[in-house]
Amino acid sequence: MKPAYKMLDEQTGRYLPFVYPEELPFWEAARRHELVLQRCDGCGRAWYPIGPACPHCFSTKWDWSRMSGRGTLHNYVVYHKAWTPYFESRVPYAVVQVELEEGPRLTTNLLGCALADIRIGMPVVVDYEEIPGDITLVQFRPAKEQS
Amino acid sequence: MTDTAQAMRDRTAVSGVGLLLGKYPERTSLSLAVEAYDIALADAGLERKDVDGIIQLSYGYDYDRFLEAVGADVRYAYQGWSHGRFVAPMLQHAAMAVATGMAKAVAIVHGRRSKAYGQTADHEMWRQGLGPHGESPAYGALGPAFGAAIAAQRYFHLYGGSNEDLAPIAMAFRKHAQLNPIAVRKDPMTREDYLKSRWIIEPLRLFDCCQNNDGGACIIVTSAERARDLRKPPVYISGMQGVHAGRQLHNLTLPGLGVAQQDVFPYRPTREDLYAYEMAGVTQKDIDALITYDAFSPLVLFALERFGFCGPGEAREFVKDGRIELGGELPINTGGGLLSEGHMIGWNLFIEAVRQLRHECGPRQVKDAQVIQYGSFLGESVIFRR
Ligand SMILES: [Zn+2]
Repeated sequence: MKPAYKMLDEQTGRYLPFVYPEELPFWEAARRHELVLQRCDGCGRAWYPIGPACPHCFSTKWDWSRMSGRGTLHNYVVYHKAWTPYFESRVPYAVVQVELEEGPRLTTNLLGCALADIRIGMPVVVDYEEIPGDITLVQFRPAKEQS
Repeated sequence: MTDTAQAMRDRTAVSGVGLLLGKYPERTSLSLAVEAYDIALADAGLERKDVDGIIQLSYGYDYDRFLEAVGADVRYAYQGWSHGRFVAPMLQHAAMAVATGMAKAVAIVHGRRSKAYGQTADHEMWRQGLGPHGESPAYGALGPAFGAAIAAQRYFHLYGGSNEDLAPIAMAFRKHAQLNPIAVRKDPMTREDYLKSRWIIEPLRLFDCCQNNDGGACIIVTSAERARDLRKPPVYISGMQGVHAGRQLHNLTLPGLGVAQQDVFPYRPTREDLYAYEMAGVTQKDIDALITYDAFSPLVLFALERFGFCGPGEAREFVKDGRIELGGELPINTGGGLLSEGHMIGWNLFIEAVRQLRHECGPRQVKDAQVIQYGSFLGESVIFRR
């Protein structure tokens, strides 16, 4: 992949993420359906948003590390207003914040879950969504009930 | 707080204000800023040549264009980021520039069109590592309201309550706006009207969100001594503290709510979190009215808990029963706030504080107001006295 700074897919009207140069490994992993974040060589912790140093101990020695993909639904809101014409067919839709087992929280959507079934504290697992621009978004869906 | 900070008490004062609010489709942000500056000069009884400092937010036109337009040269110019959280710091910079002798009179000027060309808001949601209110456009996490909605949801999750708890805030500010001739939203609002207003980002409704309007604002800061010789009664800048920022202080929330990467804990301010009161030599009990940044109604809950007017999770009860209305125990946003008076990034909030302390607010005057605090959820504050 290469860095990409396209705000909008003209065909669908969908907003795209910017792919910043230092964030390429995250996006390349998502295309392989893997969730990776940076993990510190010094204190062992992972973090988000992606950045040049560990925000816990300020070490600049770190590696991209595969996350378990398991987490908890930490927060959510429901959009009723469509900010652009593209979202008119999507409202109402939820935006969620997922707390990964490893600690960092990601802002995503929750796939395969009716709005009425969303609960703070519910277990979720990582999923992936292919969008225009050859980009794969990291998403989440409810974890299957443990039996 | 250092001894130097302590020495700022009542050294400087607001000497002049100018405010325009409404719809000006035929105008530019530059011309609205220039008009507000002209009104503030007349209000203070100052002339262009008396103003040797200029501060403004980046809003399409910049400080250099403003100064060319008014034909003035200054020795202190400064420009900040176009967000409400940096309104208090600009007033603080003006006070510090005057107190240290870098300028004699600093004008903070602002002009805005609700939809204007060349504003950074058009693309800043794509900033590296989420937008300035936590936005993430590819996921449909759009607009400043997102930050307030995720914070309100966490607040209700931790402390109980729901959207209905925000109704008294929107209704109180609407009542205040009805007593304010220049307010943009003045229609009566009942609890039923509030509950019928449409969802924008649940748990926030339309009436939890400020509207957008055009306008201009200007505030002139001079030394306290100089202010006493000018046209209007001085409003002294008695205490102040800065925007608190970092991982635990995400925008549009309160520490401890667990928004974005924040830890989860019940937030109680420490003495260090409240040094503006010490600088001013007052406590919360002395505050005759609180003015706070209310682009979204939950921010009022957060400000009350941030400054210790009530404990963690208690603000949703505090705002009920008229306590925050004119005549109540702690009137808040007596001009109607951003929610009902209008959106001037926050300058209209400061101008309301100044006018209250000059006792020129007519039917919405807080009786015998002596001390008014501007204080917002990120901990930034300016305490004024007459
Ligand atoms: Zn570390």
